[in-house]
Amino acid sequence: MLAKLLKYDFKKIYKFLIIFYSLAIFFAILTRIFFQIDNSFVMSIVAKICSGATISMIVSIIINNVMRLWVKFKNTLYDDESYLTHTLPVTKNSLYISKIITAILTMLTSVIVIALTLFIAYYSKENIETLKNLILPIADILDSSIIGVVILFLAVLLIETLNIIQVGFTGIILGHKANNNKVALSVIFGFAVYMFTQTISLLGAFLISLFNKDMMNLFITNEVINIDMIKALAFVCIVIYTSIFIINFIINILIFKKGVNVD
Amino acid sequence: MKLLECKNITKKFDNKEILHDINLTIKPGKIIGLLGKNGQGKTTLIKLINDLLTPTSGEILVKGNKVGVETKKVISYLPERTCLDKSMKVCEIVKCYEEFYENFNSKKAYKLLKDLDLDINEKLAKMSKGMQEKVQLVLVMSRDADLYILDEPLGGVDPATRDYILDTILSNFKEGSSVIISTHLIADIERILDEIIFIDKGRIVLTSDADELRTKENCSIDEVFRRMFKC
Repeated sequence: MLAKLLKYDFKKIYKFLIIFYSLAIFFAILTRIFFQIDNSFVMSIVAKICSGATISMIVSIIINNVMRLWVKFKNTLYDDESYLTHTLPVTKNSLYISKIITAILTMLTSVIVIALTLFIAYYSKENIETLKNLILPIADILDSSIIGVVILFLAVLLIETLNIIQVGFTGIILGHKANNNKVALSVIFGFAVYMFTQTISLLGAFLISLFNKDMMNLFITNEVINIDMIKALAFVCIVIYTSIFIINFIINILIFKKGVNVD
Repeated sequence: MKLLECKNITKKFDNKEILHDINLTIKPGKIIGLLGKNGQGKTTLIKLINDLLTPTSGEILVKGNKVGVETKKVISYLPERTCLDKSMKVCEIVKCYEEFYENFNSKKAYKLLKDLDLDINEKLAKMSKGMQEKVQLVLVMSRDADLYILDEPLGGVDPATRDYILDTILSNFKEGSSVIISTHLIADIERILDEIIFIDKGRIVLTSDADELRTKENCSIDEVFRRMFKC
């Protein structure tokens, strides 16, 4: 049953995302073409417009992905469509797990499409060299490859975004426990839970910094971040965010299993 | 054998009691009218049976099972509003029902849709509200369920279509199963009812065999209802 739920959840999200994916790649191709025939002032303007459109499509992909996950979560579990969702012969666990898996996989796809878009639009030996020169010192200090560093930062970004998405789900679940002002309460609860998780993250980082001088400097000095510390910070972020994600997931499932009150 | 059993069901929203200590038993093979004025708790009771609301206290059993996956397999529910994804085509929705409900009969669904002149390749969003309701009714009645729960199936439908809907219900529910019809349009449905349940201010005020009530009161159920709930 989970597979069937996933099929429909994916369809609902990708149906709209695919438009933004296509537009991003389309503008990336245009950007590449116009930058290559950049032989006049007008062409350079057109190339820059296309480049701007590409970037705005990349931003749209992220915003749309996150917003659509929240909206579909609300529509299918608490609005009109919930009359069908909650009467399907599936467990409440499956309903929630399907939403989380959809969030993870659609975000991953979006990251891949964004990387592909950037590659199409801006790939050149010079750009790659510039990027390499930027990342190489970090990679050297972290005793890692450039790809490794990129993956590490993407992982931090992805898990943080997934946390934000799940915090939104928590807000919607808690907001719809009330009988009135459900949307406003969803936003307030979502924001409150986000602030709470960020405070926990900070506390977690502080606890770890008790055993790491470089990290402690973040809390007690105004010094610029020490590059040695970036690796530790990235790993700490991944561990803390993953823990929060799992704990939040369990709490949401427990609340959700207690039942819903659909209008 | 009891098909549906509600034991001491109470539902409160904030401090307002919507349903008070509801005790109800439904046996198989009956058509039951859940009758009451608007806002008296009919839909709330139906939503509790369908896991759309959580009772404040009490227990609901369907064929001996608490409300959950097993009960959803045997209940076919028609909500008072359109619950289908309007961006989907009718044939896609039929496929969706086929995938999720083992007891869904897609041949029956396509036949009913054809009888109603509904285009299976049309998106729900492009259909009128009345057509959307018909599609929903077809999907619900195409399941070989043990209990059909129809919440206001005649609401917002013209009188000519009401008879058609009632005939569709009568000729399509599985033999031996029960049908609960919630409505305030009593005159339209009383001819098909075996039993009636009157609900008022969140309490069941009368349960009776439909024929017995008519004989006892020497008038129609609609007339009994009008007398009981005169404003």
